[in-house]
Amino acid sequence: MSQLKDVLKPGLARPLAVGGGVLAVIAALLPWVTYKFAQYGGDNYPAAASLQFFDAPFQLEGYRLHTLILGVVVVVVALAPVPARHRVLRALGWGLVAVGVINTVFAAVEGGGLGAVTAADGAIAFGGFACVVAGVLAILAGIAGGIEHVHVWRAKVATPVAYLVLLVSFVVLLLLVAMMLNAGGQGGVGNPYAGPIFLSLLGFLAGALGALHGVGLTGWISKLSDQHKVFSVAVLVLCALALPFTEAGTDYWMTTAANIGIYAATAIGLNIVVGLAGLLDLGYVAFLGIGAFVAANFSGAAAAAFGVELPFVLAAIIAAVVAGIFGAIVGSPTLRVRGDYLAIVTLAFGEIFKKAAQNNIGGLTGGANAIPNVPPINWFGQSFDKSLTIGSLELPSGVLYYVLIIVLVALVMVVFANLKNARIGRAWIAIREDEDAARAMGIKTGQAKILAFLIGATLAGLAGAVFAHKTSTVAYDSFQFIESVTLLAAVILGGMGSIPGAVLGAALLLVLPEKLREFSDYRLMLFGLALILIMRFRPQGLVPDRHRRAELADEGAEGVPIEELNVHDTPGGSTAVAR
Amino acid sequence: MATLLQQLINGLVLGAAIALIALGYTMVYGIIQLINFAHGEVFMVGGFASLATYSYVLPDSWKSDWYLALPLMAVGGALVAVVLAVIMERFAYRPLRNAPRLAPLITALGVSVVLKEAVRLWYPGATAPVPYPRAFVDKQFSVEAFGGRITIGSTALLMIAVSLIGAVVLQTYISRSRMGRAMRATAQDPDTARLMGVNPNRTIVLTFAIGAALAGIAGVLYGIHYTNVDTEVGFLYGIFAFTAAVLGGVGSIKGAVIGGFAIGLIKSLAGQYLPGGTSYDLVWIFILLIVVLVFRPQGLFGEPERVRA
Repeated sequence: MSQLKDVLKPGLARPLAVGGGVLAVIAALLPWVTYKFAQYGGDNYPAAASLQFFDAPFQLEGYRLHTLILGVVVVVVALAPVPARHRVLRALGWGLVAVGVINTVFAAVEGGGLGAVTAADGAIAFGGFACVVAGVLAILAGIAGGIEHVHVWRAKVATPVAYLVLLVSFVVLLLLVAMMLNAGGQGGVGNPYAGPIFLSLLGFLAGALGALHGVGLTGWISKLSDQHKVFSVAVLVLCALALPFTEAGTDYWMTTAANIGIYAATAIGLNIVVGLAGLLDLGYVAFLGIGAFVAANFSGAAAAAFGVELPFVLAAIIAAVVAGIFGAIVGSPTLRVRGDYLAIVTLAFGEIFKKAAQNNIGGLTGGANAIPNVPPINWFGQSFDKSLTIGSLELPSGVLYYVLIIVLVALVMVVFANLKNARIGRAWIAIREDEDAARAMGIKTGQAKILAFLIGATLAGLAGAVFAHKTSTVAYDSFQFIESVTLLAAVILGGMGSIPGAVLGAALLLVLPEKLREFSDYRLMLFGLALILIMRFRPQGLVPDRHRRAELADEGAEGVPIEELNVHDTPGGSTAVAR
Repeated sequence: MATLLQQLINGLVLGAAIALIALGYTMVYGIIQLINFAHGEVFMVGGFASLATYSYVLPDSWKSDWYLALPLMAVGGALVAVVLAVIMERFAYRPLRNAPRLAPLITALGVSVVLKEAVRLWYPGATAPVPYPRAFVDKQFSVEAFGGRITIGSTALLMIAVSLIGAVVLQTYISRSRMGRAMRATAQDPDTARLMGVNPNRTIVLTFAIGAALAGIAGVLYGIHYTNVDTEVGFLYGIFAFTAAVLGGVGSIKGAVIGGFAIGLIKSLAGQYLPGGTSYDLVWIFILLIVVLVFRPQGLFGEPERVRA
């Protein structure tokens, strides 16, 4: 790295950046590799990949449009006075590299080779390569100029303006989410393009977001939303509720989104235990399972142990309470066991739960037969698994579960946020940082730790109750060790102790497999790799908990202010450095 | 009575395999206080690697002679396991040596998932249990006693013998040899050990390698005794071995062996005599694990855990 810096004089930054930007614009107009998928009606990947500029100069779309946008922005940034210019250039460069690599590698590996769609466009389609080179040039320009700190906007604005800014940014966020979900369509055998198109868009957006972050826009917006918390939470919930009305409002995405919600709520619960209190729990999915089995048994399903059908709200409360009690039981060894031994104890509890459920303990779990046909939630004569018609507008089926889950996640987030800043939350963080010191300060550590398990498990139990009704079959094998690992991966990927992190982590870990059905066999392996790589390169996660040093990040230990250290990474990059 | 004796023998055989794996756990934990969660998967990979040695490397004419086939399979299994462990140590654990303690544990979890998935995806037919060749004399010795028949196979005897011999050799190596002394020094205080001329990194790699070699050999023995291997055994036996190591006292060779045999016996006796039978035998082991960790975390033979900075 240091040799690289010796070669790259700061004076080279601008020419490199301009060159990279122009090359990216050219790359957008060059032929890219493509491939005809027989199983997809013989269409090319993505439809027209050959040189099309002269046919339809202003109809660039998809990854070509992204490349063009990134290229133009790189040139503009290189020439205009932009704060934190080189950090922005590096982010944009990574975006270009991601777009180029994903689109080239996919079609080439799937059998297209390096050729363009027709021989006339060339035996080697170098559009993707040009794009990667352009990206590398932009990154080098960033390194040559020296990466600045993230720019901080100190502008103060009147409340109405702030509201407007927040409203606009959340609506944009909503539209981006809808666009991302829809990009490439549903994954599956019928549509091998879904994965790469989605990933390519993700790379583009990540590059753009990294650039905006460098400029200081995202930091400013998040500061505004901190100042106007109530307003932004309300708008965010409204935006989430508006998702069914966007292009992503299909049966399929509503179902997936509801699953994400269930996992997100559970992950937030786990985040209390792992992220705040620093107690690693490797059997957490058991609480989701306990909640689900309790709710299923009170649902009036034919296989239920109790012949009563309780209203959903009541069943959910019972499920949460039972899960909470088990949480306290599982948490009780924390009084004597610490650190990695505790992790193994929780793992043992998780395995005991699985074995008990597998053997139909007390006739409560149905064993290998599971508890099938749990009826859907039914409120005011509206069954939750049917589609909903409001006036002339027909909403997809599953939308009611989605709404319920959004409300649940919002509730869980409020609980989490309040706990985090309350006395008990500070006690948890103190325990995470140094248990002995916390005890010396008068914190009742035993109580606090058991409470962490109890509250975390309660939230998971609540999510489990919804899970039971939504999936309609509750089987022990939905709650295996690997699900606990997935939840943990969601929390760690997002950033321990951070609420948006847990939601983002859960969303990524569930959306990616949906989009990448082609690679579904590799799902678990990628989870494992992700755990290793995150621990190695970015232990604080994607959306680090800003204000407090995470248990796993040992930055900030040398007396450097945390704000200085909170070096956000460029997407795709891995060079978070404490300076 | 005959059933009891038979279950005792079954338990000892199972315990021998667990003890061999537990040795690796206990050594690594003893030296760097890392629960190498992936160690069980190293055992599983060892089983598959020796199977691959048999199926793809050995010439057909050697396969029928166990004195040719078995040692080569053991070498193949152990070699792959060792290479794997060294790579693991170098690229996953060493960079985190000074990180907070949960970080390496989470990494180990990731490594374990990756190894299991790699074998499941890329070893031909490994999505289901893969049959293992009878690469050793397959002979059953049985006696009529106590009103029943008690049987022990030649593979079972081999398993018990290897694990006992392995433990004794290892104990001697650690207490007598120069490298053994370096290991003990590094375990006590890596910084002081470095000042005394010990290379801690080399010592730690060696510790990983020895543990992995034993796990690889356990993989071969498991295969020839139970006549199949599958990707699930890594997790399960990893937990068994970890329980054994903790029960015996982490860091103690003697403890790991005794713990291993104890776990084997508990599993086979619980499956026979406790309510729930074999469907709950694992639950008893997990309960034992929790009880030991809560009430006697230093185990039967371990020293109370030092306070670490």
